[in-house]
Amino acid sequence: MADLRTSGPTEATDPPGPVAGARDSRFARVLIITGAAILAVIAVAALCAPLLSSWGETEIDPAATLTAPGGGHLLGTDGNGMDIWSRVLYAARLDLGIAVAAVALAVTVGTLLGLVAGYRGGWLDDVLMRVVDIFQAFPTFILALAVAALLGNGTVNLIITIAAVNAPAYARLVRAEVRTLRELPFVDAAVTSGASTTGILWRHLLPNSLTPVRVIAPLNCGWAMLTLAGLSFLGLGVSIPAAEWGAMISLGAADVVGGRWWTSVPPGLALLVCVLGFSLLGEGLQERADAKRR
Amino acid sequence: MRILRFVARRLLQLIPVLLGVIVLTFLLVRVLPGDPVRTILGQNATEADAAAARARFGLDQPLWRQFLDYLTGLVTGDFGTSIQSGAPVGAEMALRVGPTLELVVIAVTIALVVATVLGVWSARRAERPADHGIRVLALVGNSVPEFWLGLVLVLVGYSVLGWFPAPNGRVDPDTGLTPLTGADLVDAVLTGNGPAIASAAAYLVLPVLTLVIGVVAPLLRSVRASALEVLHSEPYAAAAAHGLPRRTLLYGYLMRATLVRLPSLAALVFGTAIGSTVLVEYVFSWQGFGQWALRGLLYRDYPVVQASVLVIALCYVLVFLIADVVHAILDPRVRI
Repeated sequence: MADLRTSGPTEATDPPGPVAGARDSRFARVLIITGAAILAVIAVAALCAPLLSSWGETEIDPAATLTAPGGGHLLGTDGNGMDIWSRVLYAARLDLGIAVAAVALAVTVGTLLGLVAGYRGGWLDDVLMRVVDIFQAFPTFILALAVAALLGNGTVNLIITIAAVNAPAYARLVRAEVRTLRELPFVDAAVTSGASTTGILWRHLLPNSLTPVRVIAPLNCGWAMLTLAGLSFLGLGVSIPAAEWGAMISLGAADVVGGRWWTSVPPGLALLVCVLGFSLLGEGLQERADAKRR
Repeated sequence: MRILRFVARRLLQLIPVLLGVIVLTFLLVRVLPGDPVRTILGQNATEADAAAARARFGLDQPLWRQFLDYLTGLVTGDFGTSIQSGAPVGAEMALRVGPTLELVVIAVTIALVVATVLGVWSARRAERPADHGIRVLALVGNSVPEFWLGLVLVLVGYSVLGWFPAPNGRVDPDTGLTPLTGADLVDAVLTGNGPAIASAAAYLVLPVLTLVIGVVAPLLRSVRASALEVLHSEPYAAAAAHGLPRRTLLYGYLMRATLVRLPSLAALVFGTAIGSTVLVEYVFSWQGFGQWALRGLLYRDYPVVQASVLVIALCYVLVFLIADVVHAILDPRVRI
């Protein structure tokens, strides 16, 4: 909280705005700090999983199947006798890893395509945008479902699936930015001073067109994580018995009807908090970007 | 007249997109690994059995031939025969669409009402604690995995409280409901079956609630944003400065201008809801379109995959078209 009060310098660099704007950015700061803190805690917990738990990721306790929380198992065990608390911790590795890798891949591929299409225009641009149209004729989760079912299980395939579903949106976003930027005088200046096309794209257009991407990428990570968990829940994600929150919820789904909550509630809660971390961060960044524009 | 021309132009633009969808799904299901025939015959089938089955479904034909047959079928409204069940895909799909539409339409309607009320309320208290509270709640709503939320609702509503039926279908079979549209609540009302109305309504509560919580958050954010825009606009400031009564300001200026955006938002959310129903149906054993399409996908039932992908894409783009038209009718400023 001390951060909030001793933040004079950043305030001063912001353009002067109405009072609401100033209060806005303070709320934005709270959102960003909370989101980042949540994600940091989860990342540390994921890295230190072996220290924080007494059971392995897929280690089975034959003496305890589907036991309630307490005793030797902090959050109980699932139907196979695996420790829920340990698995919730270990699962953060796969969930965070796949989601972040998939978004990074989507941003890279989407940005490159959008950059080239937006700068070159012509048939390349036409073809690319038609392909994007086809991708965007589907609700994204349905698309992810179809691609995942066709590609099959496995970490790499999941990263490709989630990236493929998201890349078109980045391509469209960056293309729109580039088309606006291209008309600005500084690009003409670069051209007349003899800069190469690659140089203009790389040094001038890329950094400037990434502004909206930076805001959207964190939100997208949260969404990617929900997609991954949803796919695993339907049996199309990571293969059992690897620890992943969606797969754990899926394993525990049948227990809920009998009132045994501990197999599915904790992994879902972990997933919710982690996605919330990304959402808070993204919302804060968005708010800050909006305040700057005003 | 202009609207008709706009609709015609947009429908024409849809043709290449839908053709692309048709070609892509046709090729992708066949190129990528997985054999539908093996999944129905099982492990012990001989090569001759497999060849016979392939011939029965026309899968032994060259690819271009299969595609031509598929296209000619589509033109006459024939979606082919399901490899899994041997039944016509069109008829199977007709049974499955009703239950899913019932779920999605009810949930999206409730979500629209809730989002409008809360969004406008929140915008009028912008940057006060109440507004911040609602925004954080919306972020939480945005981050909830729907399938898990469904399980939690089952846990509380069925296992603990016992207020709602178990997640095992759409209506109590003992009520002897005659299916007409597949949307059980509608069927129960149409046939005047009192017990079935109560049962179908009870079965609807938890899945609808799950979907509503899942889709209300993004809607709420958009409504709040557009209401804020109106509040900061010059016409609104002028109206307020002239001392118009609060009611006129609220309903005549704020609500009206905010509601104009609603059709486009509804279309967007409709798409999200279609995606979510696959998961929600799975949790509640709803036996709707989502579960049917998912099974088709898992067993590589080519005709089912092709039909469901095409229908989803068609629905999605049509809903957007309808939203644009309604928007243009509501808002005279829109030039189409």
